[in-house]
Amino acid sequence: MSLSFLDKSYNAFHDDQSFEEANSNTLTLYKEPGLVVPPTFNNAGFRDQSHEIAKKFAKGTTTLGFVFNKGIVIAVDSRASMGNYISSQNVKKVIEINPYLLGTMAGGAADCQFWERYLGMQCRLYELRNKRRITVSAASKLLVNIMYSYKGYGLSMGTMVAGWDHTGPNLFMVDNDGTRLKGNRFSVGSGSMFAYGVLDSGYRPDLTEEQACELGRRAIYHATHRDSMSGGIINVYLIREDGWHKISSTDMDHLHWNYVEDKKKEIADRNKL
Amino acid sequence: MSEYSFSLTTFSPSGKLVQIEYALNAVQAGSTSLAIKATNGVVIATEKKQPSPLIDHTSLQKVTILTDHIGMVYSGMGPDARVLVKKGRKQAEQYFRVYKERIPVSQLVREMAGVMQEYTQSGGVRPFGVSLLIAGYDESGPHLYQVDPSGSYWAWKASAIGKNMINANTFLEKRYTKEIELEDAIHTAILTLKEGFDGQITEDNIELGIIGNDHSFKILTPSQVKDYLDEVE
Amino acid sequence: MSILEYNGGAVVAMLGKNCVAVASDLRYGIKNTTVGCQMRKAYPIHQKCLLGMAGLATDVQTFLEKMKFRVNMYKLREDRDIKPSSFGNMVSSALYENRFGPMFLEPVIAGLEGDDNTPFISSTDLIGAQCFTDNFVVVGTASEALYGMCESLWKPEMEPEDLFEVISQCLMASVDRDCNSGWGGIVYILTPDKLITKELKGRQD
Repeated sequence: MSLSFLDKSYNAFHDDQSFEEANSNTLTLYKEPGLVVPPTFNNAGFRDQSHEIAKKFAKGTTTLGFVFNKGIVIAVDSRASMGNYISSQNVKKVIEINPYLLGTMAGGAADCQFWERYLGMQCRLYELRNKRRITVSAASKLLVNIMYSYKGYGLSMGTMVAGWDHTGPNLFMVDNDGTRLKGNRFSVGSGSMFAYGVLDSGYRPDLTEEQACELGRRAIYHATHRDSMSGGIINVYLIREDGWHKISSTDMDHLHWNYVEDKKKEIADRNKL
Repeated sequence: MSEYSFSLTTFSPSGKLVQIEYALNAVQAGSTSLAIKATNGVVIATEKKQPSPLIDHTSLQKVTILTDHIGMVYSGMGPDARVLVKKGRKQAEQYFRVYKERIPVSQLVREMAGVMQEYTQSGGVRPFGVSLLIAGYDESGPHLYQVDPSGSYWAWKASAIGKNMINANTFLEKRYTKEIELEDAIHTAILTLKEGFDGQITEDNIELGIIGNDHSFKILTPSQVKDYLDEVE
Repeated sequence: MSILEYNGGAVVAMLGKNCVAVASDLRYGIKNTTVGCQMRKAYPIHQKCLLGMAGLATDVQTFLEKMKFRVNMYKLREDRDIKPSSFGNMVSSALYENRFGPMFLEPVIAGLEGDDNTPFISSTDLIGAQCFTDNFVVVGTASEALYGMCESLWKPEMEPEDLFEVISQCLMASVDRDCNSGWGGIVYILTPDKLITKELKGRQD
């Protein structure tokens, strides 16, 4: 059990009375994982610093997801930044949990990556144990329970869990405060307000698949243009009854100049009339 | 100064400012000073008559340095000149502080002339009782300027001010050539002073200041002056 | 967050053979929101002198007007254009005038000096401490990346064409590593007989 230390009920020294007695002044840093800090280790002020470091690695992001009649569209940018420094323009912010479930990343890269992989593992174990796929609702609940149990420890995550289960398309937003919201339209990250602007004005339930994907792409594009912490490549996923499909992966810069061209044509056509 | 203290320098009905003319009279009463601009420098010279043989002549100085590359001499009232020297030195240093560059001679002259003009128009003050000869060497070459109590100034090839200015100017007009070099100009300056000099000219009763293309203004020591006097004889 | 980084922006100046160049990005932002992408951050002071500024946009604009005023007064007073090095000193002393309530900007000065058009560049910090180099100077939110690019691409005695290529590469590569600068760029190349202005297309994120 390689990840057994994460199991809340597990304590490596649970049965070893004499060890516990011998270390009666042992400090437990994190209650849940049962990490034992040696008595000689000076922990004073250390945890606060580690929170600062974790924050520094938090990346600006724009992610969005919305449900429409034909399914769910998930669209994300690909920038990772440390402060104002752009550390990568090629980050995969959609985590493919299984063929029917997607998770999005916003906040701390390490936190999102680790816990969504962990969620993937738990979902697979659920399948093996119960001989059926986990519902989106249950998967997001697994995640939010972890978030809640770590509340106040400085995790940084703003994630959407989206998928298709026997109830149909489902979209949940989960964050590190322990919030879990079911909804039809979400955008998460530093550029979310820009994305919402486009998304809300262009959204209709009866969009075609192409229109829906373009709406998601366009919303992320505008966010990457306006929000300096978002940028890079725009990845679009579509979730249908048969699971998720990766639709496109486009550099926002190409999109920008294409949109500029389109606009020029539009104006030229209008002037012709 | 309150807004009710009007200038004492007031136009006469004929359009003259008599206070300024009186100031010029003070200059005319002052000892003779002169300057010659040469191709490679400027020399300024002045009489330094001692009112009494009991005065320690080493304490008198009429040629002064404003900044490294600019010096001046005055005719007229010594105390008035000191005020201008103080302001001129300050202006030169302020210019250097802002631009880290030596003030052009024309700029310093204009600033000082500006001060002198202000004293012809302000309330509660009188005009300066001095004329100045300002000599300097900057990026654009050697310069010689004369500034009067009114604040007017001119650039000269050679000029004399003070008691004997009319004769001295006539002499300079005769002796000046366009190609004159600094060493010759020093001789001419001494000869001009000698004209109409009351008594025997010595290294102790005249003063010389020179600036050459080393851009460094120097007041000559009595022994250096003596050497030049010997050459002229 | 430093007030110097409030609007973002990057400026670099480089020395070439008988020429100098100044380049800046075009972004104008408020914190992490990009508001405009037409904002040039380098300005011709006269035929032979350029001033580039990065920092708080309102201070940059105010300071530019102040410097234009002083340069014009200088021109009227002395009947000549101010030397780039003297202009650098003027900028420095103007910034130090506000030592205890500074203008939040960092200028670079580039120009050609004297009859032989000796190239000159310098920069100062926000209170006027001058920095003279004989290769390049950088300021703004992308200054760290710019240092790296300039260190590797700059070489002595570049002709105007090469200088343009190098300064453009340096700017565009650097702003791609900085969130708060970019959105295109502008390059000024100053040679003894003309000032060449070229706009650069850049990533729009």
